[in-house]
Amino acid sequence: MKNKRALFAVPYVGWMALFVVAPIVMVVIYAFTTADGGVTMENFASMGTYASVFTRSFWLAILATLICLLIGYPAAYFISREGPRFQRVAMMLIMLPMWMNFLLRTYSWMSVLENNGLLNRFFSAIGLFTLINNIFGTELEYFTMINTQGAVVLGMVYNYLPFMILPIYSVIEKMDGSLVEAARDLGAGSARVFRKVILPLSLPGVLSGVTMVFVPSVSTFAISRLLGGGTQMMLGDLIEQQFLGGAYNPQLGAAISLVMMVIVVVCMVVMNHFGEGEEQAVML
Amino acid sequence: MKKFDRGGSRFLIGLMFLFLYLPILLLIIFSFNAGDSSAVWRGFSLHWYSELFHNRLIMESLYSTLLVSLLATAISTAAGTFAAIGLYSLSRRKRDALLVVNNIPMMNADIVTGVSLCLFFVAFFQGWGSFARWVNGMQGAFQLPTRLTLGFGTLLLAHIAFNIPYVILNVAPRLRQMDKNLVDAAQDLGCTWMQAFWRVILPEIKPGIVSGALIAFTMSVDDFVISYFTAGSSTSTLAMAIYGMTKRRITPEINAVSTLLFLTVLLLLVIVNVREARQERRGASMEPRKLTWMEKLAVRTSTPRWRWVKRGAGAALACGFVAVVIFLTGATSSRPVVNVCSWGEYIDTDLITQFEEETGIRVNYQTVESNETLYSLLKSGGADYDVVVPSDYMIAKLLEEDMLEELDYGNIPNFSLIDDRFKHLSYDPENRYTVPYTWGTVGLIYNANMVEEEITSWSALYDDKYAGNVLLINNSRDALGIALCYLGYSVNTTDEAEIREAYQVIADANRRGVFQGKVMDEVFQKMEGGNAAIATYYAGDYLSMVDNQADGVDLAFVIPEEGSNWFVDAMCVLKDAPHKTEAEMWINFIASTEANLANMDYIWYASPNREALEQYPAYYEELYGEELDQETYEIMAAPPEVLERCEVYENLPGETQKLYSQLWVELGTD
Repeated sequence: MKNKRALFAVPYVGWMALFVVAPIVMVVIYAFTTADGGVTMENFASMGTYASVFTRSFWLAILATLICLLIGYPAAYFISREGPRFQRVAMMLIMLPMWMNFLLRTYSWMSVLENNGLLNRFFSAIGLFTLINNIFGTELEYFTMINTQGAVVLGMVYNYLPFMILPIYSVIEKMDGSLVEAARDLGAGSARVFRKVILPLSLPGVLSGVTMVFVPSVSTFAISRLLGGGTQMMLGDLIEQQFLGGAYNPQLGAAISLVMMVIVVVCMVVMNHFGEGEEQAVML
Repeated sequence: MKKFDRGGSRFLIGLMFLFLYLPILLLIIFSFNAGDSSAVWRGFSLHWYSELFHNRLIMESLYSTLLVSLLATAISTAAGTFAAIGLYSLSRRKRDALLVVNNIPMMNADIVTGVSLCLFFVAFFQGWGSFARWVNGMQGAFQLPTRLTLGFGTLLLAHIAFNIPYVILNVAPRLRQMDKNLVDAAQDLGCTWMQAFWRVILPEIKPGIVSGALIAFTMSVDDFVISYFTAGSSTSTLAMAIYGMTKRRITPEINAVSTLLFLTVLLLLVIVNVREARQERRGASMEPRKLTWMEKLAVRTSTPRWRWVKRGAGAALACGFVAVVIFLTGATSSRPVVNVCSWGEYIDTDLITQFEEETGIRVNYQTVESNETLYSLLKSGGADYDVVVPSDYMIAKLLEEDMLEELDYGNIPNFSLIDDRFKHLSYDPENRYTVPYTWGTVGLIYNANMVEEEITSWSALYDDKYAGNVLLINNSRDALGIALCYLGYSVNTTDEAEIREAYQVIADANRRGVFQGKVMDEVFQKMEGGNAAIATYYAGDYLSMVDNQADGVDLAFVIPEEGSNWFVDAMCVLKDAPHKTEAEMWINFIASTEANLANMDYIWYASPNREALEQYPAYYEELYGEELDQETYEIMAAPPEVLERCEVYENLPGETQKLYSQLWVELGTD
């Protein structure tokens, strides 16, 4: 009987071979070939040109992840300290934005951040620019906010913050409250309880949140396009450009995708390893 | 011990929610705007909500979003459940190995999944093409289609592919928790295997199946990136439609449809929430959940995030079913179709309706951003267009690569109306493939209120004086072509040193921070709203910007003294186009004087139709009761002395093209 049921797995194995493994094999094949079909390493060799794109992507994604962590951790922690009703409503409010398309929400930031946008109009209406100009003798008419790295990071933080808050919250929420009490009984102060008990226990949530923010951030192309105005090219833009954009070169695009895939897998493995070590430490 | 400072923490949480909801609030507010701006309030109106139902693009994309999500959910739920059952009958080692493969699509960045599926489909289509030709050649009994393209089918497959892992992830823990002896006991008691499955296994794992289905549905509705790479050109989901719009102007109808969706989900969540709170108050403590080895992955789906998503998805699923039924009953199928691809805001949309009414042919009208994007789409097999409207140099390139079909001019009598100066141009010397659509010039657009002098030279584009206020045109041909003009070289030069010198002009300005951004159709929103001072774009588009400019913005257009580019965009039919007859009917219709007049009035691009070009001032006067400004007319249809200063782009040799794209990508990496 067991064998009979195992037959159910056969179509799925076939499916995975076709739609998971074969596409990745295609990426690998493309990455190592030229347009005429010859084998080459040129696609990887030429990647040096794009070192700055790699650096920028990683830098912005790391920055966004850190900011998400800085906002998300306290938020998750504070929410978990509230009553059940508050928690329920808060969680609902954190989820809800995801039902409005992220492109629209990002576009909305565009109208806020433009040189002639809502924020600059607001500043101008309250006389901020006049004040600054009077004091410093400048001729400031607006703050440049759109099409900067700051705007791109803002877009990432805005879109992916819930991915940070939720796993952290769910871990803290499930945490055994008696551990905290025990630590207090044994004479630990609030800061110490947090450092020695809550923080280590919430680490799996943090790790999960970090990967869930970092991976989409490092590979985004819509956010950098909308809020970076094409001046803040990221890895995602680079790949998109090789496939559907202005510089048709799927071989190079595949090579970059492959590199990104490897980086993501390495990150995950490191994180998981690190995370497991922590869990064992907790169990001991 | 310090007392927990509740007020402070609530204040911080409040700030965070303000951050999360400010943009959404803006979106909702501006869905009630009487004007069509997303920054300037012009009074309250429900106008966009009624418009919504007449917007074909939005309604069709909403329909395909719901259809693909529902189908993908149904199929992946069934397949995923069986796969999970199968996997759990395998030995642990085999199962773990297979689960690693299963998790790949969830771990990978979306763009990598999308790209890999796209490459796979295209490779498959190529293989299929040769196979089908071989089979068709071998026998005459039946003909296999030789040309497959990305479309609804591939979109659906891709959605199923990324949904199944989520279903398995949700079903698997249930299977693990299930007592294996139950199935054995059932069979010992005389159940057939099928009965054991329906009566024992299924009820046990049902909660897992349900939550798996709901998550799959949410992922499908929410997805943009994977759809973008696998849907091709003919199918567009709501997210893709929104992405297309963000490049130009988001129409407030999108705000309206999103507001409706958002409020529906909000309402349903509140109802569910209240009911649940009531139930909880009744007692019934939660039973402790057993931790599984999959906890780390399952944490994703067991988090409150997913709980809410699941509830939302359940609600949306129900609405979706109703909507699809309504749509399906209203949908008409098996009508002849023609797939047209053009540039954004490049046609009077009434013409589409008119053509459909006259001929009964459905027009599937798509837009792309630039010639280069169009080329990428065609090359990657992502497009099943019949008619495309590329510019001169791209037509030459497509012809060189044998991608265009010869036209039967017998079916296009209106071709005789085209002015002779637009026939037999260098891209199609014998004029066997093309019918001109529009022509025009590239010029410099500036906001006179933001610059101090009258601009007459391209040098303003690279001038530090306007740092942070210049928009660079986001395609290599135009950007480099203009820099070449500025340096006094030919736009068609193949001299590497000259091209590199032109690139250096742009790259230096870029490094000095002169450019605020690189834009194509985003230019409308930026220039109309006074968010930038100087841009390069097409004459016709300048005129429509003037039409929409905000208060305090005073746009002007100039063809600088160094000269510029003038272009012809022409309609062509792609090789092996499946609807060639319909395509030629469409081309003939568009080439007519009436259509050209309507188009000229709507998009402000000059027509190649002799009569239309001559009659337009009179047409304008009749329509608006005032005389057409001669200056406006000359911007639209540049007089010969202006055209003399301008050059037409020619197709560049392969080496030069390669240099262009290489330099262009390099610019982005600076």
